[in-house]
Amino acid sequence: MIACIRTPHPSLVAAWLTAPALRNQPLILGGLANERGTVIAASTEARALGVREGKSLNQAQQVAPDAIFQPADEPATARVRARLLATLHGISPEVAAADDPGYAFLRLDSLALRWPDRRRLLEEIVRRVESTLAVPPAIGVAGTLFVSKVAADQAEPRAPVIVEVTQTSAYLAALSVDVLPIDEDLRQYLELLGLRTLGALQAISRPAFRRQFGIKALEAYDLALGIDRRRLRRWHPPHRIEEAQPLEPPIDDTQALQFIAHALSERISESLLAAGLGTRMIRIVLDQEGIGPLLIEVSFAYPVTMTGEIFDGIRPRLLKASIAAPLERITVRAGRLEPGYMRQPGLLLRRDGFQESLADAIARLQEEYRPELVQRASLRQDAPPLPDRRILWKPA
Amino acid sequence: MPDRLQQAITVLQTRFGSAAPRPAQPDHPARPSGIAELDDLTGIGGWPVGRLSLLAGPIGSGKRTIAQRSVASASREGSVVYIDFPGRLDPQFLSRFGADLGRLLIVRPKNIREGMASARVLARAGADLVCLDLPRTREAGIDAELPHLLHRVAEATSTLLLIQDAEADDAVRYYASLILAFQRSAFIFGRDGDLKGLQLEATVMKNRLAAPGRRARWLMPYPIP
Repeated sequence: MIACIRTPHPSLVAAWLTAPALRNQPLILGGLANERGTVIAASTEARALGVREGKSLNQAQQVAPDAIFQPADEPATARVRARLLATLHGISPEVAAADDPGYAFLRLDSLALRWPDRRRLLEEIVRRVESTLAVPPAIGVAGTLFVSKVAADQAEPRAPVIVEVTQTSAYLAALSVDVLPIDEDLRQYLELLGLRTLGALQAISRPAFRRQFGIKALEAYDLALGIDRRRLRRWHPPHRIEEAQPLEPPIDDTQALQFIAHALSERISESLLAAGLGTRMIRIVLDQEGIGPLLIEVSFAYPVTMTGEIFDGIRPRLLKASIAAPLERITVRAGRLEPGYMRQPGLLLRRDGFQESLADAIARLQEEYRPELVQRASLRQDAPPLPDRRILWKPA
Repeated sequence: MPDRLQQAITVLQTRFGSAAPRPAQPDHPARPSGIAELDDLTGIGGWPVGRLSLLAGPIGSGKRTIAQRSVASASREGSVVYIDFPGRLDPQFLSRFGADLGRLLIVRPKNIREGMASARVLARAGADLVCLDLPRTREAGIDAELPHLLHRVAEATSTLLLIQDAEADDAVRYYASLILAFQRSAFIFGRDGDLKGLQLEATVMKNRLAAPGRRARWLMPYPIP
């Protein structure tokens, strides 16, 4: 299940955080009243007066002459968006930013063990977002990105809308076609044919819809049925985990270098553990006295977190490095950060010491080396008689 | 065997170890190769289970065809692993021998370490037959890995076949319980001039489980679709 978290436009939230007195006021962001420009965001009070995003500031002033006009603070808006995503990332790393500002998605499946009661999880999300942004979010929960966003649009703060997967079609059927992301031509065409609800679209067969509206409109048709093939594009926090050690006096001893590298690995590991992350690449910069720095990159097959794993990876590379002058400084940086829990399924596999199944053994080899190491072949009888066409290789 | 004779043998074994008398043909479990002539030749009815069998011979002598036929036969009964170092395995050829490709795992390692680790892990996990098709050039590291692999194979009662084009290392020859040397006597052509198979001559160079030195010759037809 996916939760869509909807907050007011981040520019509005940024303005409220800067000046709390602007809350509950008709606030229009985009520029001053006498400026040329368009409305970027409008508060609920301003919207009640007829102001809409995209309108010109002139028009906005005509319908809401007493509203407060302000330019949007772009850096503060970006900070608000990042804070919302970072707050959700603290609950689960499977978080994604939506195209529309003020929306974010959170996959809930991996939280089922920790939060068996979904209501309490949603309350926790509301509590955390409210404590960060000082506005309660509205939440919609559904099986796909589209349906969860539609549910979030219908939800009120502290009253989430939950659409179970089995009820998706029934839930969508009553909604207007306006919820679909379609262009104006198609909207008018649907209107002309009397197709005003998603239920009306659901009643049409897919081939018939395709014949009538063309292949490009099929995406909207699928959405009307609750089918959304878009994948959650995971947002990564802008982490930079780096540790450095200046060396005074400079060292040229391998033992000392290993000792310092181990200490830096420990510090990196602590930072990774604190953030629940693992790294797939460690970059070491060795600043050599009098000559340029030496760069060493170590890649890992899976995200590593523990000191031992990090040090085991970098130690052989350090010993092989062609160090031409004493070292003045060592910098270790963890790159390609991923959620550390990704490793856990591997930990559950039984190892050599136990009798493991063939499937476990294959999974272990593929995790340790690469998926293509162990393959299965099958023959495609219908393919042309060329070896590379007829034989289908797949990782086992 | 009479009890008194058995007692005498036990005494001699205690005293002289491997130099003591032993039965000429111990009852050792074997996995049929799918080729009757070969099963007769090994003296125990097939490839020894839990042991290493080496198929040696020059390029084109038919050892890979023999191994693949055995792989096809074993895949009909259980899981089979083919460690394909040269990357030349043709699944279509195997399927013509009647192989069940669903039970065949093909490992394509980049180096000896990867290949031997895969063989070890998969044999331990219960693969019935592991066929190691070694690279044409001699690679270092096999001698160090083989004891670990053989330990796993013996523990898991798997069967290990090893195909080597190059002259086998001393270590491989030492650890092998059965060494078969293959030689191609002739190609067999059909009336239409197509290659139909080959005539093989196989010699048991070493056999720890039955009498060595046996020799056999037979026709090995290629599976023509």
